[in-house]
Amino acid sequence: MSVLVKLSTTLRDCVPGYDPVAGMEVDISEHGGLSAEALAAVIGIPRTEIKIVMVNGRQSALSTVVRDGDRVAYFPAVGGG
Amino acid sequence: MPGELKLDASKSLDVEALRRFLALHEGSCEGSFVRVGGVRALAKELGLPEREAMCALLDAGFWPERFRRSRSVLSAEGLKRLLRSRVFIAGCGGLGGHVAALLARSGVGAFVLCDPDIFEESNLNRQMFCSEAALGRSKAETAREGLLGMASHLEVKAHVVAVDEGNLPGLLAGCSAVADGLDSVPKKVILEEAAANAGLPFVHGSVNREEGFAFIEAAGGRRLAAMWPDAKEGDEAFDASPDTVASSAAGVACLMASLLVRALAEGEVRDSALLHLDCSVPELERFEF
Repeated sequence: MSVLVKLSTTLRDCVPGYDPVAGMEVDISEHGGLSAEALAAVIGIPRTEIKIVMVNGRQSALSTVVRDGDRVAYFPAVGGG
Repeated sequence: MPGELKLDASKSLDVEALRRFLALHEGSCEGSFVRVGGVRALAKELGLPEREAMCALLDAGFWPERFRRSRSVLSAEGLKRLLRSRVFIAGCGGLGGHVAALLARSGVGAFVLCDPDIFEESNLNRQMFCSEAALGRSKAETAREGLLGMASHLEVKAHVVAVDEGNLPGLLAGCSAVADGLDSVPKKVILEEAAANAGLPFVHGSVNREEGFAFIEAAGGRRLAAMWPDAKEGDEAFDASPDTVASSAAGVACLMASLLVRALAEGEVRDSALLHLDCSVPELERFEF
């Protein structure tokens, strides 16, 4: 059981070697009922840095439980002009 | 009088009289394509702004030479709607400058530009109207000059002020749409609220490093506020100005301009998906929100 995690901009700094093309395949088989917030903690992304979560292309709450095969994208504030 | 070059009651021109008029002005047209000299002469003759002279030409089956290469993607009605649109550009930096330039080249006829800042050397990496000669000059005033250099038929007002809840209702009066090129989430949410209150469509853009978001929403939309429910002024995470590069600024501006040109030309605004451009891959994703 795994999910594909995509990290945006400054969140990539939290994961050395992150590949923006491939994203990160994260094994969740040992974590039953993992929320998007808990998944971020497993990867090492501070909760305070995350401002938007997209699960399978839809904006979702951090409490959303992720499932095998999900695509989970985390974003910080994106507000430059 | 039949054959006289003037707008009749239905605001259209006698085509034969128009042909004779253009023939008197050497080089003013090639077939049905009317060059800028012909547009200017006609505007002067009719006592109209050049934008309205172009609309009269379009009604008569002619086409402005400057938009020759847009002809297969725009109808005459669509181009007329663009020429008669006035777009509010909030922020004339990385996004707003590119958006204004793209809209002007696409046919939008009038702009209200707003930016309190001057160009700084660190803007040279991405901002459309920033040049070494423009350093220290107002972004809004410089953008105005740049747009008029590109298209003298434009009506462009430049305001060297920061937008806020107090001045936005007055600044938005008479505008057709609002383009968001501001540089922090809380300010963007204030702009969206003002656009919604003014009954105007809102096109959003934002950038961070090599990525950015864009979407358009119909009048009254408040999807940006819903997207960032925690955004408050004074929150460092939302107020910080991120690093941004040329490709993401120009790329997101291109998405914003494409969304707005289509909406204005069609005369109908439909809420779009949230577009996420990642120039580091590069890839474009669509999100529902």
